[in-house]
Amino acid sequence: MSARQLLAALATVALMAVFGLVVYSVLGTLQTKTTTTADPTQEQALVALPGTVVLVQNGSIYSLHGLAFTKLATPSGNWYQVAPGPNGDLLAVDKGNGYSDLYLLSPSGQVLRRLLQESSPYYFQNHFVFYPRMSANGQSVFYAYNWIDPSADYNVDFEIQSVPMANPGASPTQWSIPNNYTGGDVSPIPTANGGLLYTSFDVSSSNDSYPYSQLTYVSSPEGNPVYLTTPAQNCSEPALNPAGNEVAMVCVNNRLQRDTLEVASWNGTSLGTPTILSQGPMAASPCWSPTGNSLLFMNVPSRGDPFQLYWIPRAASAKPGAPQQVTQNLSLNALSTPVWES
Amino acid sequence: MAAGTKPRRRRAGLSTHRYSHRSSFSWGRHRTLLAFLVVLGFVVSGASGVVAYFLPAVATAIRVTGQSTLGKGSNSPKLNGVTAPPPPGQPFTVLLLGSDNDTKFVAGAVLTQTMILVRVDPATHHAVMLSIPRDLWVPIASGGSAKIDAAYELGGAKDAVQTVESDFNVPVNYWAWIGLGGLVDLVNQLGGVDAIAQMPVLDVQYPYDLTGKNPYANQRIAILPGPQRLDGVNALTYVRSRHGALLEDIARNQKQQELLVDIKDAAKHMSIADIPRIASALGDEVRTNMSLTQVASIAGLARDFSNGAVKEIVMLPPDYSSGTEQSGTSTEQVLLPNWSAINAVVQQNFPS
Repeated sequence: MSARQLLAALATVALMAVFGLVVYSVLGTLQTKTTTTADPTQEQALVALPGTVVLVQNGSIYSLHGLAFTKLATPSGNWYQVAPGPNGDLLAVDKGNGYSDLYLLSPSGQVLRRLLQESSPYYFQNHFVFYPRMSANGQSVFYAYNWIDPSADYNVDFEIQSVPMANPGASPTQWSIPNNYTGGDVSPIPTANGGLLYTSFDVSSSNDSYPYSQLTYVSSPEGNPVYLTTPAQNCSEPALNPAGNEVAMVCVNNRLQRDTLEVASWNGTSLGTPTILSQGPMAASPCWSPTGNSLLFMNVPSRGDPFQLYWIPRAASAKPGAPQQVTQNLSLNALSTPVWES
Repeated sequence: MAAGTKPRRRRAGLSTHRYSHRSSFSWGRHRTLLAFLVVLGFVVSGASGVVAYFLPAVATAIRVTGQSTLGKGSNSPKLNGVTAPPPPGQPFTVLLLGSDNDTKFVAGAVLTQTMILVRVDPATHHAVMLSIPRDLWVPIASGGSAKIDAAYELGGAKDAVQTVESDFNVPVNYWAWIGLGGLVDLVNQLGGVDAIAQMPVLDVQYPYDLTGKNPYANQRIAILPGPQRLDGVNALTYVRSRHGALLEDIARNQKQQELLVDIKDAAKHMSIADIPRIASALGDEVRTNMSLTQVASIAGLARDFSNGAVKEIVMLPPDYSSGTEQSGTSTEQVLLPNWSAINAVVQQNFPS
């Protein structure tokens, strides 16, 4: 065998080995990219919304202005939910291990005050607070607080409470009386007339024994609850428009694991016939624009995808627009309703 | 090159140089052989790449199934205690088993807190899920009566399957068992699942056994209601917690069935190239009698099922009533089956 033939043989063998490695590598590239979460600051929105939108992803808070995201300069933490605060500030929940605290943040993310401290060295004195909402007059903050039955510590349900914004250490006012062992009441929306919209949970006493949620209204603390939706509708996550006459909500089919985004008129005591704005499949956390003309909400492009922000123009009109995807490649916290400020 | 040119030259050579003829003939064969060897080399090399890639999955499959990875099963009516798989395209039944297998328990001898019987009809693209309450007091395969979750502890998957087959009169073709960490890893390998939590899940005495050092310690957990993306730990927390739920195990069964639907939807994004990664991650937290090809086949089938085509059944009273039974020296709170009601549900949804 000549040197040339030997070289050719060696080259062929080397090519064979490379081919095997290439096959191995190509198979690796066929793997599904399970994590498509991008840093929002490296992304651009698909739609330029008016004003500023505040969102949560992976424990951090971001603002969206025009097409660009900015990360808020919060202290490190697991920032979980945001809500509008007084004078353009933000209410924000920091979720810890077995508790959560409520803070007042500046628009840029600086901690102005810790409103509620629920962590404690004593195990049963730790609590969760979620769903902060400021009252219409800005004087109080409402939230869902996990109460523990002193006589049965398996009985842990959320109840709606409020405290004065100026003195959050004061004894809280209890607004709702949760159904025992149902998870309780969440998503408080204080109304301008001093009442409260919220979501209450219960378990069906019919044959299927399924849990369900209802939009509920009380006119005063611990008042008689008025149920605005039926158990069969299974609606939750109310959002009241700035004019106070339209309510957006999500209505869930538990077994199909999908829901719809609906809007209904609200006259202060009852809801009108709802209109479906989005067929989901996983619409969540609706939020009205400052003008009340359009809606933001969370949804997935398809089942199995992370949550993105969506926008519905003319949401309260007779001919609402089709939902438009606002973000891509993100994995937004669908449990945090966006804050949309002008 | 014009046709026939070269042979004419070779014939000319043949007439004058015999040695040259032999050399030319040999070189032709040699070239053919060489070409064959080169092609074979590339095929072997490529196949080696495929084998190396899928080796973790194959090794895991052999370990967790205890049978041939690519096997099609036996033609005998019973295979490892379960009914042999039906012909392709025919309905089949899978018993899904889930265990609390933290370090409080002896590995391999654990109760099955989750038992879901699933019937899949490939022709109609319909499936039925039936959750069997863990406290149901039934005759078990190893003898006597006990809560049905003890069948696996006493006799492994074989006894669990035989108990279900015998008590419910349903042939079970496949079984799959998963531990706590297995569910967490599965969901994480899928990149998380989109789920709609049916209610707030709050629990101040949730076991701190997965990440904590003391399996007897508790932790406080909160899963909020509504649509959300759950990672593995939160998905497990959601379906495992029962203390704060009015219906305890019933609520847990409902949530488990919903999570299976969510996992099915998340798995639609997966491809066959993901199998080694998932198999490696699951490790010993999964056991099944299905071969790798059967798993791939069923996973492919599940892609075509719409969520509306999956019927979810959770046993409720009057399918059973609460009662007590003697187990050894202790008296246990159990669920006493109402077999006429259960049989009606089974016959309607799991026809032979």
